[in-house]
Amino acid sequence: MTTFERLSKILVKNYKVDAERITLDGPLEGLGIDSLGMAELLFFIEDEFKVQLPFDPVALPTLGDAVSYIDGLLAAQQGTETQTTADVPAPAPPHRPA
Amino acid sequence: MRRVAVTGIGVISPLGSSAAELFANAAAGRSAIRRIEETWCKRLVSPLAACVNFSGDEHFAAPKLRMLDRVSQFAIVAARQAIGDARLDIPNADRQRVGIFLGTGMGGSQTTDDAYQTLYAKQSNRIKPFTVLMGMANAPAAWIGIEYGVTGPNLTYSTACSSSAVSIGEAWMRIRAGDLDVAIAGGAEAPLSFGGLKAWEVLHTLATEDPSDAATSCKPFSKNRSGMVLGEGAAIVVLEDWERAIQRGAIIHGELIGYGIVTDASHITRPTVAGQAAAMRAALQVAACAPASIDNINAHGTGTQANDSVETAAIKQVFGEDAFRIPISATKAIHGHLLGASGALEFVLSLLAMQHDVLLPTMHLDIAAADCDLDYVPNCARHNVNINTVMSNSFAFGGTNAVLVARSAAQRTGTA
Repeated sequence: MTTFERLSKILVKNYKVDAERITLDGPLEGLGIDSLGMAELLFFIEDEFKVQLPFDPVALPTLGDAVSYIDGLLAAQQGTETQTTADVPAPAPPHRPA
Repeated sequence: MRRVAVTGIGVISPLGSSAAELFANAAAGRSAIRRIEETWCKRLVSPLAACVNFSGDEHFAAPKLRMLDRVSQFAIVAARQAIGDARLDIPNADRQRVGIFLGTGMGGSQTTDDAYQTLYAKQSNRIKPFTVLMGMANAPAAWIGIEYGVTGPNLTYSTACSSSAVSIGEAWMRIRAGDLDVAIAGGAEAPLSFGGLKAWEVLHTLATEDPSDAATSCKPFSKNRSGMVLGEGAAIVVLEDWERAIQRGAIIHGELIGYGIVTDASHITRPTVAGQAAAMRAALQVAACAPASIDNINAHGTGTQANDSVETAAIKQVFGEDAFRIPISATKAIHGHLLGASGALEFVLSLLAMQHDVLLPTMHLDIAAADCDLDYVPNCARHNVNINTVMSNSFAFGGTNAVLVARSAAQRTGTA
């Protein structure tokens, strides 16, 4: 199963998103996941992909951004056991809820 | 001082999820108290509760629902009902002159309970990212304000079992003084987690199960009463400046005319006759009502040994000989004790009783306790009784005694 398919599964299961609405370039906010919701989505991503994300939340505007980010993390983890997730280039600056 | 009308009612309760359903079941004396069957119930002495038949999926999109503890779900849906009932046009109102006043005793306690399960029982650090947002006590009020863009005060009151009588009373004061035009006021509670039930059980306040019928386990003012049964739900009213309500042709459910709040300041749980009586007197005084003018009291009536005896004595102290004449309804016998939502739910029931001219029964009252010798409307509603003025009592752990007095809209306006 691809990263996109696994993410889609999370969205369908937890957010009751219609699978047909899920596209790589569509904004996640359009699926009801705003910057706050992203905090929880990242939590699900950690569980699904068995990765540990940086403590600071990351901004992933589209599912495509999320796919790229996760693939980068997985590649980094596989590339070297000593490399930490913090070494993965961060996408956009994080949004912190007030 | 301005007059304050109740122009909207919303309820999500064990006795029904509309005012009509709530009233019909309360008048019929149907108990919502049941033996609950969760797997953890075997660790409870009396696994009793009054649950709401409610599914958040029917009311919220999934991404939003994930952020809402059950208590917030109840509050938002009850507020939608109340605002719809009042036909309020909040977007086009001066939204800074609208306030949210909500009472809750335990807030998002189920979320907290879940988080503790994860942290301590499962020894996992994977608690929900929204644990703080779902558990915080002001979440229900905040969500209502966000949904309707209400920019006036958004306040949460937590005075245990009197929380929502306090929230309604405090909102009433703001409108009465001219600080606000409209208030969405009431309470919500969702305490039926294992942790919530166990915490109340070990305090020895909960009823033991009636072996003949679990539904009859809560017996306010009875000789054989053994305690209260926890319930869940929300009750919200729209309070509105009387003249504003009249001008826009609103249907008025009643006029809130008095609010008394007096603190025992003596013991964290043990109620006092003096404190309860003082709160009733304070409410009557501000309402400019003679005690004899009260037609029905919705008692705090928890079914605990301490409360029912003390409340009876306090009513006698305030009403004198009239105490034996004024019918008293203890509806917790059938909807359970909704803690922070109880005051609002019972205030709503008082208004509905007044609107329908029906004295609601105190169920499961076969033999009254020797020191509970008033007219509690035992076991059967009384219909076609002229009810013009009602009192609703709410007394709390912590000692905050809050009393609301309302009168029929028809009494002053000459309209139905």
